[in-house]
Amino acid sequence: MLELLTSHILARALTAALTASVVSALVGTFLVLRRLSSMGAAIAHMCFAGAIAAYVAGVNPMVGALVPSLLLALAASYARRKREGQSEAILAAAIGISSAVAALALSFSREYSAVAFSYLVGDVLGVSEDEVSLLIAVSALITAIVALLYRGLKYSALDPETAEAMGLRVSLFEYLLGVLAALLLVVEIRVVGMILAQVYLVAPAAAAWEIAHSVEGMMALAIALSLISAVAGFSTSIALDLPTSAVIGVVAATIYAITLTLSPKRRGRCLLAFLRRECKV
Amino acid sequence: MTAYRPLMEFAEVEVRYQAEPALMDISFRIEEPAFTVVVGPNGAGKTTLLKTALGLVKPARGRVVVLGVDVVKDPWRVRRMIGYVPQRERIDQTMPALVKDIVLMGRALRRPLIGRLSEEDVEAALRALERVGLSNLWDAPFAHLSGGQQQRVLIARALAAEPKLLLLDEPLSGVDAASQEVIVRLLADLARSGVGVVMVSHDLNPVLDYADYVLLLNRRLIAFGRPAELLEPDLLSKTYGKDVKVFRMGTQCFVISGDSHA
Repeated sequence: MLELLTSHILARALTAALTASVVSALVGTFLVLRRLSSMGAAIAHMCFAGAIAAYVAGVNPMVGALVPSLLLALAASYARRKREGQSEAILAAAIGISSAVAALALSFSREYSAVAFSYLVGDVLGVSEDEVSLLIAVSALITAIVALLYRGLKYSALDPETAEAMGLRVSLFEYLLGVLAALLLVVEIRVVGMILAQVYLVAPAAAAWEIAHSVEGMMALAIALSLISAVAGFSTSIALDLPTSAVIGVVAATIYAITLTLSPKRRGRCLLAFLRRECKV
Repeated sequence: MTAYRPLMEFAEVEVRYQAEPALMDISFRIEEPAFTVVVGPNGAGKTTLLKTALGLVKPARGRVVVLGVDVVKDPWRVRRMIGYVPQRERIDQTMPALVKDIVLMGRALRRPLIGRLSEEDVEAALRALERVGLSNLWDAPFAHLSGGQQQRVLIARALAAEPKLLLLDEPLSGVDAASQEVIVRLLADLARSGVGVVMVSHDLNPVLDYADYVLLLNRRLIAFGRPAELLEPDLLSKTYGKDVKVFRMGTQCFVISGDSHA
Protein backbone atom coordinates (compact mmCIF):
# COMPACT_ATOMS: atom_id res chain seq x y z
CA MET A 1 0.00 0.00 0.00
CA LEU A 2 2.81 2.37 1.03
CA GLU A 3 4.68 1.45 -2.15
CA LEU A 4 1.60 2.24 -4.27
CA LEU A 5 1.16 5.59 -2.51
CA THR A 6 4.82 6.43 -2.98
CA SER A 7 4.74 5.55 -6.67
CA HIS A 8 1.59 7.68 -7.10
CA ILE A 9 3.27 10.67 -5.44
CA LEU A 10 6.39 10.19 -7.57
CA ALA A 11 4.36 9.95 -10.78
CA ARG A 12 2.47 13.14 -9.92
CA ALA A 13 5.68 14.93 -9.02
CA LEU A 14 7.38 13.79 -12.23
CA THR A 15 4.36 14.90 -14.29
CA ALA A 16 4.55 18.35 -12.69
CA ALA A 17 8.31 18.64 -13.23
CA LEU A 18 8.11 17.52 -16.88
CA THR A 19 5.12 19.75 -17.72
CA ALA A 20 6.80 22.79 -16.19
CA SER A 21 10.05 22.01 -18.01
CA VAL A 22 8.44 21.74 -21.46
CA VAL A 23 6.28 24.89 -21.29
CA SER A 24 9.05 26.94 -19.68
CA ALA A 25 11.38 26.02 -22.55
CA LEU A 26 8.68 27.03 -25.03
CA VAL A 27 8.13 30.49 -23.52
CA GLY A 28 11.83 30.82 -22.62
CA THR A 29 12.82 30.43 -26.28
CA PHE A 30 11.02 33.67 -27.17
CA LEU A 31 12.24 35.47 -24.04
CA VAL A 32 15.87 34.61 -24.82
CA LEU A 33 15.49 35.46 -28.52
CA ARG A 34 13.91 38.83 -27.64
CA ARG A 35 16.61 39.50 -24.99
CA LEU A 36 14.00 39.52 -22.22
CA SER A 37 15.59 36.93 -19.90
CA SER A 38 15.94 39.46 -17.09
CA MET A 39 12.22 40.19 -17.34
CA GLY A 40 11.57 36.49 -16.61
CA ALA A 41 13.80 36.67 -13.52
CA ALA A 42 12.14 39.86 -12.27
CA ILE A 43 8.63 38.42 -12.75
CA ALA A 44 9.67 35.28 -10.83
CA HIS A 45 10.83 37.46 -7.91
CA MET A 46 7.60 39.44 -8.05
CA CYS A 47 5.58 36.19 -7.95
CA PHE A 48 7.51 35.10 -4.87
CA ALA A 49 7.05 38.39 -3.03
CA GLY A 50 3.38 38.63 -4.04
CA ALA A 51 2.60 35.09 -2.87
CA ILE A 52 4.31 35.62 0.52
CA ALA A 53 2.71 39.02 1.09
CA ALA A 54 -0.73 37.61 0.19
CA TYR A 55 -0.24 34.64 2.51
CA VAL A 56 0.65 36.94 5.40
CA ALA A 57 -2.34 39.17 4.60
CA GLY A 58 -4.67 36.17 4.48
CA VAL A 59 -5.35 36.51 0.75
CA ASN A 60 -5.09 33.68 -1.80
CA PRO A 61 -1.29 33.50 -2.54
CA MET A 62 -1.95 32.77 -6.22
CA VAL A 63 -3.89 36.01 -6.59
CA GLY A 64 -1.13 37.77 -4.66
CA ALA A 65 1.43 36.39 -7.10
CA LEU A 66 -0.59 37.04 -10.25
CA VAL A 67 -1.52 40.72 -9.88
CA PRO A 68 1.96 42.26 -9.31
CA SER A 69 3.52 39.84 -11.84
CA LEU A 70 1.14 40.89 -14.60
CA LEU A 71 1.60 44.55 -13.71
CA LEU A 72 5.39 44.18 -13.87
CA ALA A 73 5.23 42.29 -17.19
CA LEU A 74 3.11 45.06 -18.74
CA ALA A 75 5.13 47.89 -17.16
CA ALA A 76 8.47 46.41 -18.28
CA SER A 77 7.22 45.96 -21.85
CA TYR A 78 5.86 49.52 -21.85
CA ALA A 79 9.13 50.93 -20.46
CA ARG A 80 11.11 49.02 -23.06
CA ARG A 81 9.27 50.86 -25.82
CA LYS A 82 8.72 54.26 -24.30
CA ARG A 83 11.75 54.69 -22.07
CA GLU A 84 14.47 52.93 -23.97
CA GLY A 85 17.45 52.14 -21.75
CA GLN A 86 15.43 52.33 -18.53
CA SER A 87 13.64 48.99 -18.67
CA GLU A 88 16.71 47.12 -17.33
CA ALA A 89 16.83 49.51 -14.37
CA ILE A 90 13.11 48.96 -13.74
CA LEU A 91 13.58 45.17 -13.76
CA ALA A 92 16.58 45.37 -11.42
CA ALA A 93 14.60 47.63 -9.10
CA ALA A 94 11.66 45.19 -9.22
CA ILE A 95 13.94 42.35 -8.07
CA GLY A 96 15.21 44.47 -5.18
CA ILE A 97 11.77 45.72 -4.19
CA SER A 98 10.19 42.26 -4.31
CA SER A 99 12.98 40.83 -2.12
CA ALA A 100 12.41 43.67 0.36
CA VAL A 101 8.64 43.07 0.42
CA ALA A 102 9.17 39.33 1.00
CA ALA A 103 11.63 40.03 3.84
CA LEU A 104 9.24 42.53 5.41
CA ALA A 105 6.32 40.08 5.25
CA LEU A 106 8.47 37.37 6.84
CA SER A 107 9.46 39.67 9.69
CA PHE A 108 5.91 39.52 11.07
CA SER A 109 6.27 35.94 12.25
CA ARG A 110 8.78 33.09 12.17
CA GLU A 111 6.05 30.63 11.16
CA TYR A 112 6.01 32.18 7.69
CA SER A 113 9.58 31.03 7.03
CA ALA A 114 8.49 27.49 6.12
CA VAL A 115 5.93 28.86 3.65
CA ALA A 116 8.52 31.20 2.15
CA PHE A 117 10.96 28.32 1.76
CA SER A 118 8.35 26.25 -0.05
CA TYR A 119 7.75 29.10 -2.54
CA LEU A 120 11.49 29.52 -2.96
CA VAL A 121 12.44 25.91 -3.73
CA GLY A 122 8.98 24.45 -4.38
CA ASP A 123 7.62 21.17 -3.16
CA VAL A 124 7.41 18.86 -6.13
CA LEU A 125 6.86 15.75 -4.02
CA GLY A 126 4.17 17.46 -1.94
CA VAL A 127 2.23 18.84 -4.90
CA SER A 128 -1.53 18.17 -4.87
CA GLU A 129 -3.71 16.75 -7.63
CA ASP A 130 -5.40 20.14 -8.08
CA GLU A 131 -2.09 21.98 -8.38
CA VAL A 132 -0.86 19.59 -11.09
CA SER A 133 -4.18 19.91 -12.92
CA LEU A 134 -3.94 23.70 -12.85
CA LEU A 135 -0.34 23.55 -14.08
CA ILE A 136 -1.37 21.27 -16.96
CA ALA A 137 -4.37 23.44 -17.87
CA VAL A 138 -2.35 26.69 -17.91
CA SER A 139 0.45 24.95 -19.83
CA ALA A 140 -2.05 23.74 -22.45
CA LEU A 141 -3.48 27.25 -22.76
CA ILE A 142 0.00 28.79 -23.19
CA THR A 143 0.98 26.15 -25.75
CA ALA A 144 -2.21 26.79 -27.74
CA ILE A 145 -1.59 30.57 -27.77
CA VAL A 146 2.03 30.07 -28.86
CA ALA A 147 0.95 27.68 -31.63
CA LEU A 148 -1.77 30.07 -32.83
CA LEU A 149 0.40 33.21 -32.83
CA TYR A 150 3.70 31.48 -33.57
CA ARG A 151 4.69 33.56 -36.60
CA GLY A 152 4.10 36.88 -34.85
CA LEU A 153 6.04 35.76 -31.76
CA LYS A 154 8.88 34.40 -33.90
CA TYR A 155 9.36 37.42 -36.15
CA SER A 156 8.87 40.01 -33.41
CA ALA A 157 11.61 38.25 -31.43
CA LEU A 158 13.96 37.55 -34.34
CA ASP A 159 14.13 41.04 -35.89
CA PRO A 160 11.73 43.45 -34.17
CA GLU A 161 12.94 46.53 -36.05
CA THR A 162 12.17 45.11 -39.49
CA ALA A 163 8.97 43.40 -38.32
CA GLU A 164 7.62 46.71 -37.02
CA ALA A 165 8.80 48.64 -40.09
CA MET A 166 6.95 46.17 -42.32
CA GLY A 167 3.67 46.31 -40.44
CA LEU A 168 3.78 43.85 -37.51
CA ARG A 169 2.57 45.27 -34.19
CA VAL A 170 5.63 44.11 -32.27
CA SER A 171 4.57 45.81 -29.03
CA LEU A 172 1.48 43.58 -28.77
CA PHE A 173 3.65 40.47 -28.97
CA GLU A 174 6.00 41.85 -26.32
CA TYR A 175 3.08 42.43 -23.98
CA LEU A 176 1.73 38.96 -24.79
CA LEU A 177 5.09 37.35 -24.04
CA GLY A 178 5.28 39.11 -20.67
CA VAL A 179 1.75 37.99 -19.78
CA LEU A 180 2.47 34.37 -20.78
CA ALA A 181 5.65 34.36 -18.67
CA ALA A 182 3.75 35.81 -15.69
CA LEU A 183 0.93 33.23 -15.96
CA LEU A 184 3.40 30.37 -16.22
CA LEU A 185 5.53 31.52 -13.28
CA VAL A 186 2.47 32.00 -11.05
CA VAL A 187 1.35 28.38 -11.47
CA GLU A 188 4.90 27.03 -11.39
CA ILE A 189 6.07 28.79 -8.22
CA ARG A 190 3.97 26.62 -5.88
CA VAL A 191 5.06 23.43 -7.65
CA VAL A 192 8.73 23.86 -8.50
CA GLY A 193 9.55 27.06 -6.60
CA MET A 194 10.84 30.45 -7.70
CA ILE A 195 14.44 29.38 -8.16
CA LEU A 196 13.73 26.47 -10.49
CA ALA A 197 10.96 28.37 -12.28
CA GLN A 198 13.39 31.06 -13.41
CA VAL A 199 16.14 28.54 -14.21
CA TYR A 200 13.67 26.55 -16.33
CA LEU A 201 12.59 29.70 -18.12
CA VAL A 202 16.05 30.86 -19.16
CA ALA A 203 18.81 28.19 -18.91
CA PRO A 204 17.59 25.56 -21.45
CA ALA A 205 16.61 28.21 -24.03
CA ALA A 206 19.88 30.09 -23.55
CA ALA A 207 21.82 26.82 -23.94
CA ALA A 208 19.85 25.98 -27.09
CA TRP A 209 20.58 29.46 -28.52
CA GLU A 210 24.29 28.63 -28.39
CA ILE A 211 23.81 25.55 -30.57
CA ALA A 212 20.75 25.90 -32.79
CA HIS A 213 20.60 27.46 -36.27
CA SER A 214 16.84 27.98 -36.45
CA VAL A 215 14.10 29.09 -34.08
CA GLU A 216 12.36 25.73 -34.43
CA GLY A 217 15.65 23.93 -33.74
CA MET A 218 16.26 26.17 -30.74
CA MET A 219 12.81 25.43 -29.37
CA ALA A 220 13.14 21.66 -29.85
CA LEU A 221 16.59 21.67 -28.28
CA ALA A 222 15.46 23.83 -25.35
CA ILE A 223 12.60 21.40 -24.65
CA ALA A 224 14.98 18.41 -24.91
CA LEU A 225 17.56 19.97 -22.57
CA SER A 226 14.81 20.97 -20.16
CA LEU A 227 13.42 17.41 -20.10
CA ILE A 228 16.91 15.96 -19.63
CA SER A 229 17.47 18.35 -16.69
CA ALA A 230 14.12 17.38 -15.18
CA VAL A 231 14.60 13.61 -15.50
CA ALA A 232 18.26 13.61 -14.44
CA GLY A 233 17.65 16.02 -11.57
CA PHE A 234 14.53 14.22 -10.42
CA SER A 235 16.12 10.76 -10.30
CA THR A 236 19.32 12.07 -8.69
CA SER A 237 17.37 13.91 -6.00
CA ILE A 238 15.33 10.78 -5.18
CA ALA A 239 18.43 8.58 -5.09
CA LEU A 240 20.44 10.98 -2.91
CA ASP A 241 17.47 12.34 -0.91
CA LEU A 242 18.14 15.94 -1.91
CA PRO A 243 15.65 18.79 -2.67
CA THR A 244 14.26 17.94 -6.14
CA SER A 245 13.92 21.47 -7.53
CA ALA A 246 17.39 22.45 -6.39
CA VAL A 247 18.99 19.42 -8.06
CA ILE A 248 17.06 19.96 -11.32
CA GLY A 249 18.17 23.61 -11.25
CA VAL A 250 21.80 22.63 -10.77
CA VAL A 251 21.63 20.16 -13.68
CA ALA A 252 20.00 22.76 -16.00
CA ALA A 253 22.54 25.42 -15.02
CA THR A 254 25.42 22.97 -15.56
CA ILE A 255 24.16 22.12 -19.06
CA TYR A 256 23.99 25.84 -19.85
CA ALA A 257 27.51 26.42 -18.54
CA ILE A 258 28.82 23.57 -20.72
CA THR A 259 27.10 24.81 -23.91
CA LEU A 260 28.23 28.36 -23.22
CA THR A 261 31.83 27.22 -22.92
CA LEU A 262 31.80 24.85 -25.91
CA SER A 263 29.35 26.82 -28.07
CA PRO A 264 29.79 26.14 -31.80
CA LYS A 265 28.77 29.78 -32.40
CA ARG A 266 31.75 30.86 -30.36
CA ARG A 267 33.71 27.89 -31.75
CA GLY A 268 34.95 27.02 -28.28
CA ARG A 269 37.05 30.19 -28.32
CA CYS A 270 36.26 31.03 -24.73
CA LEU A 271 37.44 27.67 -23.40
CA LEU A 272 40.54 27.65 -25.59
CA ALA A 273 41.35 31.21 -24.62
CA PHE A 274 40.88 30.35 -20.97
CA LEU A 275 43.23 27.39 -21.32
CA ARG A 276 45.76 29.73 -22.87
CA ARG A 277 45.22 32.16 -19.99
CA GLU A 278 43.83 34.73 -22.40
CA CYS A 279 40.21 34.61 -21.40
CA LYS A 280 39.04 38.08 -20.44
CA VAL A 281 35.46 37.07 -19.66
CA MET B 1 1.21 53.13 -60.01
CA THR B 2 -0.70 56.41 -60.21
CA ALA B 3 -2.68 55.50 -57.06
CA TYR B 4 0.55 55.58 -55.05
CA ARG B 5 1.68 59.10 -56.01
CA PRO B 6 3.67 60.78 -54.74
CA LEU B 7 6.13 58.01 -53.98
CA MET B 8 7.57 60.15 -51.17
CA GLU B 9 7.08 63.74 -50.17
CA PHE B 10 8.54 65.67 -47.25
CA ALA B 11 7.15 69.18 -46.79
CA GLU B 12 8.96 71.47 -44.32
CA VAL B 13 9.67 68.53 -42.03
CA GLU B 14 11.42 69.02 -38.73
CA VAL B 15 12.35 66.13 -36.41
CA ARG B 16 13.74 66.53 -32.91
CA TYR B 17 15.13 64.04 -30.40
CA GLN B 18 14.33 65.73 -27.07
CA ALA B 19 15.39 69.30 -27.82
CA GLU B 20 18.11 68.29 -30.28
CA PRO B 21 17.15 68.86 -33.94
CA ALA B 22 17.82 65.80 -36.11
CA LEU B 23 16.22 67.09 -39.33
CA MET B 24 15.42 70.70 -40.11
CA ASP B 25 13.18 72.14 -42.80
CA ILE B 26 13.35 69.14 -45.15
CA SER B 27 11.31 69.47 -48.34
CA PHE B 28 11.54 67.24 -51.39
CA ARG B 29 9.22 65.23 -53.60
CA ILE B 30 9.82 61.97 -55.48
CA GLU B 31 6.96 61.56 -57.92
CA GLU B 32 7.66 58.33 -59.82
CA PRO B 33 9.36 55.06 -58.83
CA ALA B 34 13.08 55.82 -59.06
CA PHE B 35 16.40 54.88 -57.46
CA THR B 36 17.04 57.65 -54.94
CA VAL B 37 20.09 57.72 -52.71
CA VAL B 38 20.22 59.80 -49.53
CA VAL B 39 23.85 60.72 -48.91
CA GLY B 40 25.47 62.39 -45.94
CA PRO B 41 28.05 61.93 -43.17
CA ASN B 42 27.42 60.05 -39.90
CA GLY B 43 24.88 61.91 -37.77
CA ALA B 44 23.38 63.72 -40.78
CA GLY B 45 19.91 62.35 -40.04
CA LYS B 46 19.78 59.77 -42.86
CA THR B 47 18.35 56.95 -40.72
CA THR B 48 16.00 59.43 -39.04
CA LEU B 49 14.70 60.38 -42.48
CA LEU B 50 13.91 56.72 -43.23
CA LYS B 51 12.28 56.24 -39.80
CA THR B 52 10.18 59.34 -40.37
CA ALA B 53 9.08 57.96 -43.75
CA LEU B 54 8.04 54.75 -41.95
CA GLY B 55 6.18 56.62 -39.22
CA LEU B 56 8.53 55.21 -36.56
CA VAL B 57 9.56 58.78 -35.68
CA LYS B 58 6.97 61.55 -35.59
CA PRO B 59 7.94 64.90 -37.05
CA ALA B 60 7.65 67.92 -34.78
CA ARG B 61 6.54 69.93 -37.79
CA GLY B 62 5.71 69.39 -41.45
CA ARG B 63 3.98 66.74 -43.55
CA VAL B 64 5.23 63.35 -44.76
CA VAL B 65 3.42 61.51 -47.53
CA VAL B 66 4.57 58.05 -48.66
CA LEU B 67 2.86 56.11 -51.46
CA GLY B 68 0.11 58.71 -51.41
CA VAL B 69 -0.64 58.19 -47.70
CA ASP B 70 -0.07 60.66 -44.87
CA VAL B 71 2.39 58.72 -42.68
CA VAL B 72 1.51 60.49 -39.43
CA LYS B 73 -2.19 59.74 -39.88
CA ASP B 74 -1.88 56.13 -41.06
CA PRO B 75 1.61 54.68 -40.54
CA TRP B 76 0.46 51.03 -40.56
CA ARG B 77 -1.06 51.33 -44.04
CA VAL B 78 2.26 52.66 -45.34
CA ARG B 79 4.32 50.00 -43.55
CA ARG B 80 2.25 47.21 -45.09
CA MET B 81 3.25 48.40 -48.57
CA ILE B 82 6.94 48.89 -47.84
CA GLY B 83 9.98 46.63 -47.93
CA TYR B 84 12.57 47.60 -45.33
CA VAL B 85 16.23 46.63 -45.11
CA PRO B 86 17.79 47.62 -41.75
CA GLN B 87 21.45 48.32 -41.11
CA ARG B 88 23.06 44.89 -40.92
CA GLU B 89 24.97 45.97 -37.79
CA ARG B 90 21.66 46.56 -36.00
CA ILE B 91 20.48 42.97 -36.26
CA ASP B 92 21.91 40.00 -34.42
CA GLN B 93 24.10 38.35 -37.06
CA THR B 94 24.38 35.16 -35.01
CA MET B 95 20.61 34.79 -34.59
CA PRO B 96 19.35 31.22 -34.89
CA ALA B 97 17.76 31.52 -38.30
CA LEU B 98 18.18 29.81 -41.64
CA VAL B 99 18.25 31.89 -44.81
CA LYS B 100 14.77 30.60 -45.69
CA ASP B 101 13.44 31.79 -42.30
CA ILE B 102 14.70 35.29 -43.00
CA VAL B 103 13.36 35.47 -46.56
CA LEU B 104 10.02 33.89 -45.67
CA MET B 105 9.64 36.51 -42.93
CA GLY B 106 9.18 39.15 -45.64
CA ARG B 107 6.42 37.07 -47.19
CA ALA B 108 4.78 36.08 -43.88
CA LEU B 109 4.46 39.72 -42.79
CA ARG B 110 2.13 40.24 -45.75
CA ARG B 111 -0.12 37.32 -44.77
CA PRO B 112 -2.66 36.86 -41.93
CA LEU B 113 -0.84 36.01 -38.71
CA ILE B 114 -2.80 32.81 -38.22
CA GLY B 115 -2.52 29.98 -40.73
CA ARG B 116 0.17 28.33 -42.78
CA LEU B 117 2.13 29.87 -45.62
CA SER B 118 1.16 28.52 -49.05
CA GLU B 119 3.36 26.91 -51.71
CA GLU B 120 2.98 30.16 -53.64
CA ASP B 121 4.48 32.09 -50.71
CA VAL B 122 7.47 29.74 -50.57
CA GLU B 123 7.97 30.10 -54.33
CA ALA B 124 7.82 33.91 -54.06
CA ALA B 125 10.46 33.81 -51.32
CA LEU B 126 12.63 31.53 -53.45
CA ARG B 127 12.28 33.89 -56.43
CA ALA B 128 13.37 36.81 -54.23
CA LEU B 129 16.43 34.87 -53.12
CA GLU B 130 17.14 33.96 -56.73
CA ARG B 131 16.98 37.63 -57.65
CA VAL B 132 19.89 38.40 -55.31
CA GLY B 133 21.77 35.38 -56.68
CA LEU B 134 21.71 33.26 -53.54
CA SER B 135 19.06 30.59 -54.18
CA ASN B 136 21.66 27.89 -53.42
CA LEU B 137 21.79 29.15 -49.81
CA TRP B 138 18.08 28.53 -49.01
CA ASP B 139 18.83 26.05 -46.22
CA ALA B 140 22.07 27.66 -44.97
CA PRO B 141 22.33 29.17 -41.47
CA PHE B 142 22.23 32.98 -41.74
CA ALA B 143 25.12 33.25 -39.26
CA HIS B 144 27.41 31.29 -41.61
CA LEU B 145 27.16 33.82 -44.47
CA SER B 146 29.62 36.58 -45.32
CA GLY B 147 28.64 40.21 -44.72
CA GLY B 148 27.79 40.73 -48.39
CA GLN B 149 25.68 37.56 -48.53
CA GLN B 150 23.83 38.50 -45.34
CA GLN B 151 23.05 41.90 -46.82
CA ARG B 152 21.69 40.32 -49.99
CA VAL B 153 19.51 37.94 -47.95
CA LEU B 154 18.07 40.94 -46.08
CA ILE B 155 17.28 42.56 -49.44
CA ALA B 156 15.66 39.30 -50.62
CA ARG B 157 13.47 39.36 -47.50
CA ALA B 158 12.23 42.84 -48.40
CA LEU B 159 11.67 41.77 -52.03
CA ALA B 160 9.68 38.70 -50.96
CA ALA B 161 7.06 41.11 -49.61
CA GLU B 162 6.60 42.44 -53.17
CA PRO B 163 6.76 46.04 -51.93
CA LYS B 164 5.70 49.18 -53.74
CA LEU B 165 8.62 50.99 -52.15
CA LEU B 166 11.92 49.65 -50.84
CA LEU B 167 13.74 51.54 -48.06
CA LEU B 168 17.32 50.52 -47.33
CA ASP B 169 19.51 51.75 -44.48
CA GLU B 170 23.23 51.65 -45.39
CA PRO B 171 23.07 48.39 -47.39
CA LEU B 172 26.62 48.94 -48.69
CA SER B 173 28.21 49.35 -45.27
CA GLY B 174 30.75 46.63 -44.43
CA VAL B 175 30.17 44.93 -47.78
CA ASP B 176 32.95 44.02 -50.25
CA ALA B 177 33.19 45.86 -53.59
CA ALA B 178 31.82 42.92 -55.62
CA SER B 179 28.70 42.64 -53.44
CA GLN B 180 28.27 46.42 -53.53
CA GLU B 181 28.16 46.25 -57.33
CA VAL B 182 25.60 43.39 -57.27
CA ILE B 183 23.39 45.26 -54.77
CA VAL B 184 23.49 48.61 -56.57
CA ARG B 185 22.75 47.02 -59.99
CA LEU B 186 19.84 45.09 -58.48
CA LEU B 187 18.36 48.23 -56.92
CA ALA B 188 18.66 50.13 -60.19
CA ASP B 189 16.90 47.22 -62.01
CA LEU B 190 14.13 47.24 -59.41
CA ALA B 191 13.55 50.95 -59.88
CA ARG B 192 13.33 50.42 -63.64
CA SER B 193 10.76 47.67 -63.08
CA GLY B 194 8.48 50.09 -61.16
CA VAL B 195 9.50 49.62 -57.51
CA GLY B 196 10.52 52.83 -55.78
CA VAL B 197 13.91 52.57 -54.07
CA VAL B 198 15.20 54.96 -51.41
CA MET B 199 18.59 54.01 -50.07
CA VAL B 200 20.70 55.67 -47.39
CA SER B 201 24.48 55.70 -47.84
CA HIS B 202 27.43 57.60 -46.43
CA ASP B 203 29.41 56.69 -49.57
CA LEU B 204 28.48 58.32 -52.86
CA ASN B 205 30.94 56.57 -55.19
CA PRO B 206 29.31 53.11 -55.56
CA VAL B 207 25.95 54.62 -56.59
CA LEU B 208 27.05 57.47 -58.86
CA ASP B 209 26.53 55.52 -62.10
CA TYR B 210 23.19 53.99 -61.08
CA ALA B 211 21.17 56.44 -58.97
CA ASP B 212 18.36 58.41 -60.62
CA TYR B 213 18.36 61.02 -57.86
CA VAL B 214 20.68 61.96 -55.04
CA LEU B 215 19.62 63.79 -51.91
CA LEU B 216 22.49 65.48 -50.05
CA LEU B 217 21.68 65.71 -46.35
CA ASN B 218 23.32 67.09 -43.28
CA ARG B 219 20.40 67.68 -40.93
CA ARG B 220 19.22 70.16 -43.56
CA LEU B 221 18.60 69.36 -47.19
CA ILE B 222 21.71 70.54 -49.00
CA ALA B 223 20.54 69.60 -52.51
CA PHE B 224 18.27 67.19 -54.36
CA GLY B 225 18.63 66.31 -58.02
CA ARG B 226 20.30 64.14 -60.65
CA PRO B 227 23.75 62.85 -59.61
CA ALA B 228 25.55 64.71 -62.40
CA GLU B 229 24.02 68.01 -61.24
CA LEU B 230 25.21 67.53 -57.66
CA LEU B 231 28.84 66.63 -58.29
CA GLU B 232 29.97 70.07 -57.24
CA PRO B 233 32.78 70.29 -54.67
CA ASP B 234 31.01 73.17 -52.90
CA LEU B 235 27.78 71.21 -52.39
CA LEU B 236 29.62 68.06 -51.34
CA SER B 237 31.91 69.97 -48.97
CA LYS B 238 28.85 71.57 -47.39
CA THR B 239 27.27 68.11 -47.02
CA TYR B 240 30.28 66.42 -45.44
CA GLY B 241 31.45 69.47 -43.50
CA LYS B 242 34.98 69.16 -44.90
CA ASP B 243 36.92 69.68 -48.11
CA VAL B 244 35.68 67.34 -50.86
CA LYS B 245 37.15 67.00 -54.35
CA VAL B 246 35.56 65.55 -57.49
CA PHE B 247 37.85 63.71 -59.93
CA ARG B 248 36.75 62.95 -63.46
CA MET B 249 38.43 60.18 -65.50
CA GLY B 250 36.76 59.93 -68.88
CA THR B 251 33.10 59.22 -68.18
CA GLN B 252 33.81 58.14 -64.59
CA CYS B 253 33.66 60.40 -61.52
CA PHE B 254 35.10 59.86 -58.06
CA VAL B 255 34.43 61.84 -54.95
CA ILE B 256 37.31 62.09 -52.50
CA SER B 257 37.13 63.73 -49.10
CA GLY B 258 40.37 64.32 -47.18
CA ASP B 259 42.05 60.95 -46.78
CA SER B 260 39.05 58.81 -47.75
CA HIS B 261 36.12 58.56 -50.13
CA ALA B 262 33.04 60.61 -49.41
